[in-house]
Amino acid sequence: MSGQFVLEGVVVGLAVGSIYALIAVGFTVLYKSTKILNLAHGELVLFGGYLAIAATSAFGFLPTPAAFAAGVAVTLLAAAALGFAVERAVMRPLFGQPLLSVIIVTLALGYVVRGIMVGIWSGETRTFPPVIPATVVRVAGVPVSLVGVWSAAAAATLLVTFSLFFRYSRWGIAMRAAANEQLTASTLGVSLRRVFAYAWAFAAVAGAVGGILLGLWLGVNFALAAVGLKALAAVILGGLDSVPGAILGGLLVGVVETVLGGYMEAHVRVLGQPLHGFKEVTAYLVILLALMVRPHGLFGTERIERL
Amino acid sequence: MAYARPCGDFKTSYAQDMALLDIRLYRWGFLLLLAAMVAAPWVLGRWIYLLNDIAVFAIGAVGLSLVMGFAGQISLGHAAFMAVGAYTSWFATTHLKLPFVAALPLSAVVAFAVGAVVGLPSLRIKGLYLAIATLAFQFLVEYLIVQTVSGMGGTPVPPMDLFGVPVNTEVRFWYVVATVWVVGAVFATNLTRTRVGLALMAVRDRDYAAQVLGVNLLYYKTLAFALGAAYAGVAGSLFAHYNRVIGAEHFSLAQSIDFVAMLVIGGLGSVWGPHLGAAFVRMLTQLLKMWAPVLGAVIPVLGRATTSVHDVVFGVILIVFLIWEPGGLATLLRKFKRYVDLWPFPH
Repeated sequence: MSGQFVLEGVVVGLAVGSIYALIAVGFTVLYKSTKILNLAHGELVLFGGYLAIAATSAFGFLPTPAAFAAGVAVTLLAAAALGFAVERAVMRPLFGQPLLSVIIVTLALGYVVRGIMVGIWSGETRTFPPVIPATVVRVAGVPVSLVGVWSAAAAATLLVTFSLFFRYSRWGIAMRAAANEQLTASTLGVSLRRVFAYAWAFAAVAGAVGGILLGLWLGVNFALAAVGLKALAAVILGGLDSVPGAILGGLLVGVVETVLGGYMEAHVRVLGQPLHGFKEVTAYLVILLALMVRPHGLFGTERIERL
Repeated sequence: MAYARPCGDFKTSYAQDMALLDIRLYRWGFLLLLAAMVAAPWVLGRWIYLLNDIAVFAIGAVGLSLVMGFAGQISLGHAAFMAVGAYTSWFATTHLKLPFVAALPLSAVVAFAVGAVVGLPSLRIKGLYLAIATLAFQFLVEYLIVQTVSGMGGTPVPPMDLFGVPVNTEVRFWYVVATVWVVGAVFATNLTRTRVGLALMAVRDRDYAAQVLGVNLLYYKTLAFALGAAYAGVAGSLFAHYNRVIGAEHFSLAQSIDFVAMLVIGGLGSVWGPHLGAAFVRMLTQLLKMWAPVLGAVIPVLGRATTSVHDVVFGVILIVFLIWEPGGLATLLRKFKRYVDLWPFPH
């Protein structure tokens, strides 16, 4: 592993990782305030990617940047609406049900969303019209596509905005209170229903933004839903209920995937066979390793169980 | 739920009270069911393949019901255990030249061992985390299959050979799979009434409390996973010799989720649940497979949307069951039985 290879991997990995981090934050916020592990998160990402492309081409009569902006706006609104709808129709009747039902219901939800997406837009890869020129810039001496730089910058900006929202705004504080202790928060006048609804909308929007950014970079097909599972790896690594943990976890997963996965694919042979697609399973190895060594993650709270 | 017991059907000994089929109606009912299974090929004709399909997956679902329904451990990687059984059976029959009667138990044993290893972390990680760990296991197995044995295509498996008789027709396969199905189901049902089953249920309800009461958590959680995996292994072996070709697509995450769907739709923690659920899910899958193209032809607007109709229908059915009838089909059946028992009175 030469130094140049590692450096390239780290830079590209950080760019991808920032998008993972963004998706992972949506995940964590949802988990913190509702205690729901959303296995349909990847489908929310997919939803964002597909809808943004469709909306952008629907606004095709405008100049490309304007069409893209309009498409993104429509997508974000639709994602928020989807989040509210899911909370109201599916999650609220299951409030207080055992963990198993809640996990399975999110799985089923993912099935439905993905089925509808694939049904409407079929399985092939779709791409955005060229919003950002496909040039290559050098970051720290490493060539990265301009799209990558833009998405990393957008993800970083959004992460800062989100953390300001949670730190200072009224609803951000209410959500943090609910995350801290649901019962106490509700006695102090925080409407749990509304917090849950906002958390779902937030998760859907974060996922959709992730979908748009990844879509700009790689194009959208229904394998994009697997990104939700990479965000899961990030969240497990960082600690399920820690927002900084999710960000760090996302960046780490991005870097590990690019450096280690890229290295294994390029140089390691098992029984004389190159390891194709090893990159795709790195995230699961990270999950298994994190669960073995530190089940509560790097920054998560360790749960102490009492009878 | 207490039932009205039939009059004139007395129990005079402890053995009678503990019998699996404790009243006359059930004994006759079970005999009738067995007779129906024997007669099924004549009644169903070429549709017997539906029953074969259901039987294979019901055996797997019984295994998952031990893990999820009785021991309360979430597993999203059940199809991966099925893959372990299928590939063991393939390897045993093609490379080791073992007969099927040896390959079937062998795949159960290998799956049992793999299940025990995967179940080991369940002591340390639980709930959500366990679900994720099994999910990761599922993906790694799929990756291994694609990378090492089958690639993106499939691996051919020879037909079953039972003491020199080739099991190469649907009807012959039905008698083999039905035997395994009945034996497996009765064994699992009895198991849930023994010390092991009671311990598993104690673990499900509150694992620490069970530990305080003297249930060895490590042993029983691992055992639950291993037993569940062994059932999946048997199902995988049968599937391999039935389908004659196996590949990563047959043991995908979607299949694991289908298993979970079978349990939820059938009813978690119930003896009949996995069978009802498997029947429901497999029949629906076959129906959708048959009707989706027709639907697309009749209503052209739907067009290619019909390809994903399976996913959407399954998702919606799962959500509907979880919200309105978390007990699944087994509870619906129980309610119906109660209604019949008490008819014409409401209570």
